[in-house]
Amino acid sequence: MVVEGLTRRYGAVTAVDDVSFSAATGRILGFLGPNGAGKTTTLRMVLGLVTPTAGRIEVLGDSDFSRVRGRVGFLPEERGLYRRMTPVAAIAFLAGLKGVPGPEARRRARALLEAQGLGAAAERPIRFLSKGMAQKVQLLSTLAHQPDLVILDEPFSGLDPVNQQSLETLIRSLAERGATVIFSTHVMQHAERLCDQVVLMAGGRKVFDGTVAAARAATPRTLTLEGVFEPAAVADLPGLEAPVVSRLESGGVRVVAALRPGAPAQEPIRQAFARGIDISRFEVREPNLHDAFIVLTGGGGAAP
Amino acid sequence: MNRLFRIARREYLAYVRTFGFWLSLLLLPVGLSMIGLAPAAVDRSVPIPRVTIVDFTAPPAGGGESLGRAVGAALTAHEAGAKPAGALTPAPGAPFKDVADATARLKPYLTGNTALPGGGRLDAAVILSPSGDTVAVDVWSRDVANQHIRDLVGETARDAIRRARLRAQGIDARALASIDALSPKIADYSPKAETGRVSLKDRLPGYLGLAMGLLLWMVVLTGAGMLLNSVMEEKSSRILEVLLTSASVPEIMGGKIIGVAAVTATVLTFWMTIGGVTLMARSPGIAGDVGAILLGHGRLLYFGLYFLGGYMMFATLYVTIGAFCETAREAQTLLSPMMMIMTVPLLFMSQAVTHPDAPLLRALTWIPLFTPFMMAARVASDPPAWEIAATALLMFGVTAAELWVAIPAFKTGALAAGRFDLRAFAASLGRRSEA
Repeated sequence: MVVEGLTRRYGAVTAVDDVSFSAATGRILGFLGPNGAGKTTTLRMVLGLVTPTAGRIEVLGDSDFSRVRGRVGFLPEERGLYRRMTPVAAIAFLAGLKGVPGPEARRRARALLEAQGLGAAAERPIRFLSKGMAQKVQLLSTLAHQPDLVILDEPFSGLDPVNQQSLETLIRSLAERGATVIFSTHVMQHAERLCDQVVLMAGGRKVFDGTVAAARAATPRTLTLEGVFEPAAVADLPGLEAPVVSRLESGGVRVVAALRPGAPAQEPIRQAFARGIDISRFEVREPNLHDAFIVLTGGGGAAP
Repeated sequence: MNRLFRIARREYLAYVRTFGFWLSLLLLPVGLSMIGLAPAAVDRSVPIPRVTIVDFTAPPAGGGESLGRAVGAALTAHEAGAKPAGALTPAPGAPFKDVADATARLKPYLTGNTALPGGGRLDAAVILSPSGDTVAVDVWSRDVANQHIRDLVGETARDAIRRARLRAQGIDARALASIDALSPKIADYSPKAETGRVSLKDRLPGYLGLAMGLLLWMVVLTGAGMLLNSVMEEKSSRILEVLLTSASVPEIMGGKIIGVAAVTATVLTFWMTIGGVTLMARSPGIAGDVGAILLGHGRLLYFGLYFLGGYMMFATLYVTIGAFCETAREAQTLLSPMMMIMTVPLLFMSQAVTHPDAPLLRALTWIPLFTPFMMAARVASDPPAWEIAATALLMFGVTAAELWVAIPAFKTGALAAGRFDLRAFAASLGRRSEA
């Protein structure tokens, strides 16, 4: 999937501003950003639901989404299914719209439900299922036609930890099968564990596009020093910047400072001991995607 | 086409698999049967009222039947298998001095405080007394709502007085009977009648047109309501968003419209079959006439044309409105003006039976929203071909324009969050390519 210079304006408001990125076949792409960053609008443009004001979109090698919609699976952020239908019927119906013949669609629906532990509920109306089960059914309905591109808008919201884990496994299996998976999320841990590539959005603009490792690399490591000392004593240690001081309940202080890019962590520690600063604990922490998210989005959209 | 069919099929099954569908399917025939059978059933269950007659009038001069006997005979007369209006019982406590005495002494029996000598209660008392040169008829009854006895007694008394007066004028009974039997032989003729002489068959197209107009009105109202609710439900549960990534707007709208049309067609076919079979069993002649009228002069095609146009026009409108609504209250707000407009053809359709070519009705025919109903109701006047072609063209033209507007509007509404926004709706009209 290729997106180039994608822009969407609503009157004076620019919801998506000149966004470009691509998702390679068989890869998992995390589409991250705070609320109102333009993620859903971008995905809606990719899905042909909203027409871009400017820019180009190519999905599965075609610039006309209507020609490839049978090869795309989509799970919207706000979930809903026909409450009176059974899971088998609902999955088979949506798969049918994607071009799967009726009997085959029903066979696949049953197989998917069995595989996800929902075999017993296959013929029970959806209104009698729990919220988690219904969400699973909806997810399966986006996959029954074995799409080449799967777009999941906030797929983890509302799922308990067990189901979140099961969804992660499912997403990995989709990519292993060769499908491209794009999902938006607020939860950085999922993206960190799953994604080959992340695209970070903020204020309608793309602020980062690359691997999780590259996102982390764009964020400084931190050094934490705890002990009984004057905060000013550690402020001029080599390689440190932007120290944040806090008081410990035990009476000491904690200083958390960013390590300058390329600066070795050992040097400020060695210097601290050499200067006789009373350090009781130190920790060097590698940045995670959450830190990268905060830094790259300018801190305006703190992830949960 | 495949997607259109699948959406239509889902829509159809979603309705026919509900308990409510079967209930509404059976409710009309059962209800109509009950309406037909209820009066007879009630009549059978009600006992024949016991009536007493007190006659203070003088016997007719020159002999003949007294007024009391004539009234009694009228009350007890009945056809085979039918019930008489009343069963005569001797007046308890008779003879009476005068009307006041009779009234006072019969009242306890009428209130139920005193039983008749043979047991049971007195239901009505008829007191006949002279009043100047006529007769006073006092009818006392326990059942104030039932005026049958009063009407029958009044009619008999009026007849008896008239006869007595005519006899007093010297007209003998035989001559009077022959005068009463005189009646003009009235026959209706019309150049439009098949045989020249107007029969029920010639009047049937008018009634059939009205029935078709009303049927279309009902189908449009229920079918469009079903469509509105269906789209509204899909929008509020966000299924519409998924559908829009799986099918085009015309496929979704078309599928829904066809699905609901199939539901209403199922209901109509069932009702018409039952109606047809009942009519054939009870009045085979009328059933044959109805069949001949429908099949003759291309009327089936005529009704089909306006049924299709009317349904399409309103279904498109309601589907689009549904896409902008998430709650029944929002839909109600948008539909209220529509409902007011829809009452106009309802008011004028019945007039078309007697005045199918009235200028006002012809004028209403040219308002596209009323065309299908008014043209169906005006079928008896056999509108000329040019009028049929022009109104149909206008109706389908408006439907096409409606679709032109509805397709982008449907998508905008389906994806919009919150309440109906007129500006969003207007803006959607310029984004046709999105659909």
